[in-house]
Amino acid sequence: MARAQAEQQQPTTGITLIVMVGLAIAFLLLMAFLNVIKSGNLLSETNLLFATLIFYAGAGALYLGFGVTGTESYVKFASLATWLGLVANTAAVAHRWYEAGHAPFSSVYEMLLSFVWTLAVLTLVAEKKFGVKVIGTVTMPVAIVGVVLMQLLRTEVHPLVPALQSTWLHVHVTLAMLAYAACALSFALAAMFLIQDNMKTETFLAVTSASTLAIYAGVVFTRFEKWGGLSLVAWDPERKSEVFLSRGVRLFVNVPDLGWLMALTLLVVASPLVFYGLARWKKNDAFLTVANRAVFLSILLQVMALVMFVVRANDARYPSLDADGLFPTSLAASPFILSGLVGGVFISLLYLLLLWRRPDLGRLLPSADDLDRITYKTICLAFPLLTLMIAAGAYWANQTWGSYWSWDPKETWAAITWLVYALYLHMRITRGWRGRRAAYFAIAGFAVVMFTFFGVTYLLPGLHAYA
Amino acid sequence: MALDFRAVAHKSWRTIASIQTGVVLLILVVILAAAGTIVLQRPVTEPDEMQSAYSPQALRVLDAVGLTDVFHAWWFLGLMLLVSLCITAASIDRFPNSWRFFSRPYKYPDESFRRASHPQKSVPIADEETGLVAAQRALHSLGFKPERVVREDHFGIFAERHRISEMAVYIVHASLLLIFLGTIVDGLWGWRGTLNLNEGQTSNIVELRDGTTRMLPFAIRCDSAGQENYKDGTPKKWWSNLAVVEGGQDVKKKQIVVNDPLLHSGVRFYQSSYGPNGKVDKFSLVATPSNGSGQTKEIALAVDDTVPLDADTTVRFAEFFPDYAVRDGQVYRKSNDLENPAAHLIVTSKRAGESNAKNFDVWFPPLEEVADNSKSPWQFHATDLKMGHFTGLQVSHEPGQWAVWSGVVLLGVGLAFVFYVVHMRFWAVPVCDPKTGKCSLWIGGSANRNRDAFEQRFNDLVAFVEEELKTIPSTPREQVATVVAN
Repeated sequence: MARAQAEQQQPTTGITLIVMVGLAIAFLLLMAFLNVIKSGNLLSETNLLFATLIFYAGAGALYLGFGVTGTESYVKFASLATWLGLVANTAAVAHRWYEAGHAPFSSVYEMLLSFVWTLAVLTLVAEKKFGVKVIGTVTMPVAIVGVVLMQLLRTEVHPLVPALQSTWLHVHVTLAMLAYAACALSFALAAMFLIQDNMKTETFLAVTSASTLAIYAGVVFTRFEKWGGLSLVAWDPERKSEVFLSRGVRLFVNVPDLGWLMALTLLVVASPLVFYGLARWKKNDAFLTVANRAVFLSILLQVMALVMFVVRANDARYPSLDADGLFPTSLAASPFILSGLVGGVFISLLYLLLLWRRPDLGRLLPSADDLDRITYKTICLAFPLLTLMIAAGAYWANQTWGSYWSWDPKETWAAITWLVYALYLHMRITRGWRGRRAAYFAIAGFAVVMFTFFGVTYLLPGLHAYA
Repeated sequence: MALDFRAVAHKSWRTIASIQTGVVLLILVVILAAAGTIVLQRPVTEPDEMQSAYSPQALRVLDAVGLTDVFHAWWFLGLMLLVSLCITAASIDRFPNSWRFFSRPYKYPDESFRRASHPQKSVPIADEETGLVAAQRALHSLGFKPERVVREDHFGIFAERHRISEMAVYIVHASLLLIFLGTIVDGLWGWRGTLNLNEGQTSNIVELRDGTTRMLPFAIRCDSAGQENYKDGTPKKWWSNLAVVEGGQDVKKKQIVVNDPLLHSGVRFYQSSYGPNGKVDKFSLVATPSNGSGQTKEIALAVDDTVPLDADTTVRFAEFFPDYAVRDGQVYRKSNDLENPAAHLIVTSKRAGESNAKNFDVWFPPLEEVADNSKSPWQFHATDLKMGHFTGLQVSHEPGQWAVWSGVVLLGVGLAFVFYVVHMRFWAVPVCDPKTGKCSLWIGGSANRNRDAFEQRFNDLVAFVEEELKTIPSTPREQVATVVAN
């Protein structure tokens, strides 16, 4: 009955959303065009990025609409918008490459630029080649967040220090980006497999809550300061870099009261997990309803924490515990916290999407068998890329430092990632692991990738200072 | 007794070659390597940093079990050897089977194989020969080279592609062993150190990591070194012009930059640092006689150089202080950084008729408590001070490198074969029912990976065979060939 109603409504609602998104894109482009005429500089990177953002936002809205309502006609327009955005994105990458004289991989900003590009390409490939249309619902919002983050980070071309002027480095980083993107894709596919394999919704509740909890726990336990402040790295707006007290020791400023907000959010984010635990322990499903409400509440609080963080951490001056006087900080100084907070909201929203639209998702996604096979194929793609990435990195290190392997944490974790996927392949090929076990393995593999990419830079004592 | 020993040996072999052992070992490697990134490691950490990070007791325990230097601990090396052993054993254990598969391809499927095989299809045919010809032509048009197989009184068609793919996993394992071998060779016979050279200096003594030194059979001379900056002052390029000196002869010259080392008889020299060495390369001055007579002279001095100013007078560059301080009329060296330089010149003058030469001290900058510059018969005006630089070279000898890089290339090739080269086999066997006399062509196929794409190909083949069967009975041979070509 509900299905029939939805199908009846589709033509009207479908067209409404497309028309609205189309109008919004046209309006924004017109406004941007007027601005461009005033400034007289059509092909600047900012303009290209703005165009990218507009198209990706349109695509993201349509993909989300498709994810929520299941209207097929959205997809065509969504991929059209993605194509257009990709053209602008490619132009921005090319512009950057031309201006800098090297492949755009040397700063967080440039990495994001390339990452967003890769994400858009993969979305189109997954959609056209494998027919996984719903993937845009997940990837395009990530791409939008990426482009928005880029606006906040430094944009001027930064010269390369001598060690980074090597073709092998570019090969290494390009391969790393591709490999990690393939790993991310395999993770998304494995998660979809679990949905199609009828994994319980409350299990997803537990996992998503645990992930957001981990993010806030990470922020609070490393950055909570005396009297409820939050430590952030000081940022020198003139030199566009972090402020160092001495070699390798960064200056932290203390943003008052933000620590309390983070701690409060931590508590609220933990509550769904607590209720889930109670439901399991008391075997009472009433607690699950409470847990789902708590997720909703946690999203509100997370959004508040994110907004307060953006408002207070962006271009303001705060005292420091290590030095006298006020020091400026900027969002650019805390890219990891920012992406963590954005990621937390995103993970919780994905859970809500699953909670509310599970039957539709079941209809939209490919079958469990297909997803299992595609996950394996993506890892078959990721593994050689990982291998070549490590090899290119080793070759570069050998050219630069005279040693192809020095067990630095980043290297070691890259090797660990490689071993984890090697284990996956052995289990699958020789032991015939399929289905859930393989999916868990793919998810664990991606967790290791994330740790290698972010955790090593952020948490471990390391020498891989460039990325 | 001997039997027992054989049983034990057999059992150990089974254990070491099993996939379970391999998985356990790999998990152990993962855990220990991760521990090595979480616990601070001695080789890359300052001793006082270690002491401030851990309590003395904790540090003693960590040191005792080797967790402060995981990647050089004997047990980590032992574990890597076990992994190599496991890979070798597993490969040897499985190789004979694969080799049989590889060297003696299964060309004629028997009845039980035909029943179990997937995918398969039976197509009705008029007689055996038509079926065989149709299968042969269809496989030809798919780009295969089919062969006719005879088994007693039966005929069959067999075609395959990329049989090498069955061996790919051994290529991958062998390449890993080759890489391990290379790193072991490097660990045993390789060394790494540094060599700092001032411009113009020649040396063959390398300071190794462990504090000892090593004499090279040849010497390296640094002719010049320098740095280029970007507009904003960050370094863009460091370079050194090096020469290899063997038996007093320059045998090789190269400008090295970061990322582009000099290689000579297995030893490589990398640009690693560059900076002032606190020594003066050239100190340029303009000298004028104090009495106003005679000509001004432009001179350039290095430390200890002596230059004549006129027939009776010489000037010597006696001392240089990169960072000086004056106390009690004495000049001291405060540090070796070029912060606050001072130069000491000595003018020696021997007037006509005087038997003893007279020395006058001249200081830059003028230091009144030390000497009075105005007494000197010549006055000086400093125009330029060019400091000397050193270049810091990393030196390494890695005799196992060839094995590592060939292992890497082999690994890439092996993985490409493992993942993207599919061993495909097709069989076609005409089967006739002796009672009814009706015949059908059994077509079967197999692929060692990517089976869904293979099924598509199999369906194509069946469609081709059916098309061929339509044309064969009524059409002469030549025309068939053109149909196929079209």
